[in-house]
Amino acid sequence: MKLPSHITPPPPRRHSPDRTPVYAIVGNPNCGKTTLFNALTGLRQKVGNYPGVTVEKKIGTTWSQHGRPIQIIDLPGAYSLAARSPDEAVLRDVLFGRREDTPQPDRIICVVDAANLERNLYLVHQILDLGRPVIIALNMMDMAAGAGLKVDAGELEGELGIPVIACEAVHGRGLVELKLAMSRVDLPLARHRWDVPGPVAPAVAELQASLAQNDARPPLVARAEALLLLTDFDTVRVAGSKPLSARTHEILDQWRKRWEGEGADWPAALIRTRYNAIAHLCRNVITRPGTSRPSLSDRIDAVLCHSIWGWAVFGVIMAALFYSIFSLAEPPMDFIDGHVAALGDWVKGAMAPGDLRDLITDGIIAGVGGVVIFLPQILILFFFVGLLESTGYMARAAFIMDRPMSKVGLNGRSFIPLLSGYACAIPGIMATRSIENAKDRLVTILVTPLMSCSARLPVYLLMIAMVLPGEAVSPVQKAGLMLLMYALGTIGAFGFAWLFKRTLFQGGSPHMILELPAYQPPRFKDILRHMVERGWLFLKNAGTIILAISIVLWALTTYPKHPDPEATATEQIAHSFAGRAGHVIEPVIKPLGFDWRIGIGLITSFAAREVFVSSMGVIFGVEGDDEDTTPLRDALHAAHWPGGAPLFTPLVCLTLMVFYVFAMQCMATLAVVKRETNSWRWPLFQTFYLTGTAWLVCLVLYQTGRALGY
Amino acid sequence: MSASLRSLAPLCQLAPGATGRVCELTGDEGFCQRVRELGFGEAALVTKISGTTTSLCLVNGTRLALNHHAAMSILVETLPANAR
Repeated sequence: MKLPSHITPPPPRRHSPDRTPVYAIVGNPNCGKTTLFNALTGLRQKVGNYPGVTVEKKIGTTWSQHGRPIQIIDLPGAYSLAARSPDEAVLRDVLFGRREDTPQPDRIICVVDAANLERNLYLVHQILDLGRPVIIALNMMDMAAGAGLKVDAGELEGELGIPVIACEAVHGRGLVELKLAMSRVDLPLARHRWDVPGPVAPAVAELQASLAQNDARPPLVARAEALLLLTDFDTVRVAGSKPLSARTHEILDQWRKRWEGEGADWPAALIRTRYNAIAHLCRNVITRPGTSRPSLSDRIDAVLCHSIWGWAVFGVIMAALFYSIFSLAEPPMDFIDGHVAALGDWVKGAMAPGDLRDLITDGIIAGVGGVVIFLPQILILFFFVGLLESTGYMARAAFIMDRPMSKVGLNGRSFIPLLSGYACAIPGIMATRSIENAKDRLVTILVTPLMSCSARLPVYLLMIAMVLPGEAVSPVQKAGLMLLMYALGTIGAFGFAWLFKRTLFQGGSPHMILELPAYQPPRFKDILRHMVERGWLFLKNAGTIILAISIVLWALTTYPKHPDPEATATEQIAHSFAGRAGHVIEPVIKPLGFDWRIGIGLITSFAAREVFVSSMGVIFGVEGDDEDTTPLRDALHAAHWPGGAPLFTPLVCLTLMVFYVFAMQCMATLAVVKRETNSWRWPLFQTFYLTGTAWLVCLVLYQTGRALGY
Repeated sequence: MSASLRSLAPLCQLAPGATGRVCELTGDEGFCQRVRELGFGEAALVTKISGTTTSLCLVNGTRLALNHHAAMSILVETLPANAR
């Protein structure tokens, strides 16, 4: 497309030697942008083999061949600059210089998947309209070769006149050449020529002039935006939340009405014209195999996406996950448990009796140690989630789950955040940014905390050990009970999604188009790194939040001291600040079978669910009259009501687990929901509806159980 | 030949293994434009891999999953096996 006569294209930008140049890494979802970003910057941002892993920009630094710093911004993937979801909007806004917190990139690295070149070049084609220096990183050349495609990077470079670097970011190939290109001061502008259909040209010129004059857009951004507005009349998708001027709106409306009157679909024609230009560009770039055979991914998909076998495999994967959590984790858990107990005994033996010794043994060791022993199981959970993400199965799970999701008014795309929620609700809620429909996104955010996250594991495991104690019970039974809790949460998420889609967020059935990436062997290095990061985060929480809460809780259960020095430990807690607070809320939770001590655990675990276990360790740890540290499980078994009835009956343990399935007890999740919805309304609503549901379900469960004689 | 004279069927009814040519998009404007931007617009060739409610298709070497609603909005004409 030729520029109007009144606009002069800017000369190629040369970044001055004393200024750090800013590069943006852009491309379609799942084309390897973050892998390339990590390879260039040495950072360790999360990567995965499914679309939508990166939902927010990431900034890092690399060094040119001359040793000068280069800032790199990794942006979420997008198929087009006409953003249809919040993550795509990040890309649009950064490239158009609309984000105040991010510098507008001087140069752009377009990462394209060599195995899907034409479709990837659609976004590149739009970006070239911006008239900024671009480097194309032709990534996944190995995958293209595996599919029988020959992609000629030199030919594409010749056609466009900009550097085109063939690379395999995952294997580190092509990085040196890419850095050399990035180090160039005089990056050329693309020979980007394409002719919009004749009848569209006047509309482009008129809109472009208005955008420049009335909306203060720089000339080339105005041209790119005009082309987008004529491709997609939805101004919010193109222009973002900042409204366009009345004059630009007026011009856009005039052209739309005119074209509707003529019965012409010029927006579709614009896309076709781009694709024709891309096909012309690629005519000598790609050589396809004469015959096409089903790829390995096709053959695997024939089983994993099969209407019957797909479900069977999904079920086996989930069962294997829960079985492994019990069977593989036991030896390391016993190891940690033994050492925590030995440490407590050693401190008790080494220190003189007194408040300081009690603080260390009953507060810190019982509280933090009680949570740390669940580390092996958390690591196993993240190993499995990492496997699903790395191989490409995550997108297949969304495909399989689309049908049940459609029954509740959502689509399979919502299942990826829900599945991520099994590990942690926070990345799950962040992942909803890839959902195009705003109502579906909000519904998914509201129900994601129902997916049992890793923080619930310690609570479930402790309660399962209470319900099914001893070595004689097989791991299968324990895994079955755990699976039941996960299933209950999932059913709850589906049920509430169904309810919300029929009441608060009514809307038609959403369309879903989801790209399924080719299967890849698991990248164990990335999985292990992610496991270590999550494990470290868990330990950091144990060393900070849980440690602090354990100390505070110990103080609240220790002071004020009972006036009678001979008072029992139970009388002391009842007299303490925590005991008094617990008694205040006891009337609310007593119908669920919980006493005031459990109530304290419920309150403290609003900080994080796993705090419940440490709270129980502190509260029931102080009851131990002997010098040996009593395992928490035994201490809970020994706990009783004032009348002598056991407190932690199997029914109460089950009810507690169900409470944790439904209740909203995670401050970090609430903060993320507030940020993602830009309002306190939804996190508050979420807290009340989830905790209210937890109370009601537990009431029915406990009272029914009691009526049946349990 | 005009679309009305051809035998058009929704994508979800294309038999597994069969190839069709996209002839018409019937969804809302935003959906149609996104489908076109993905290279799945009118005249694109699509091969069905599997599925009836949720369809798995191959377009330009890209494996795409479409839910029933999306697959109903894409009308294709089945190409004879020797024409692929």
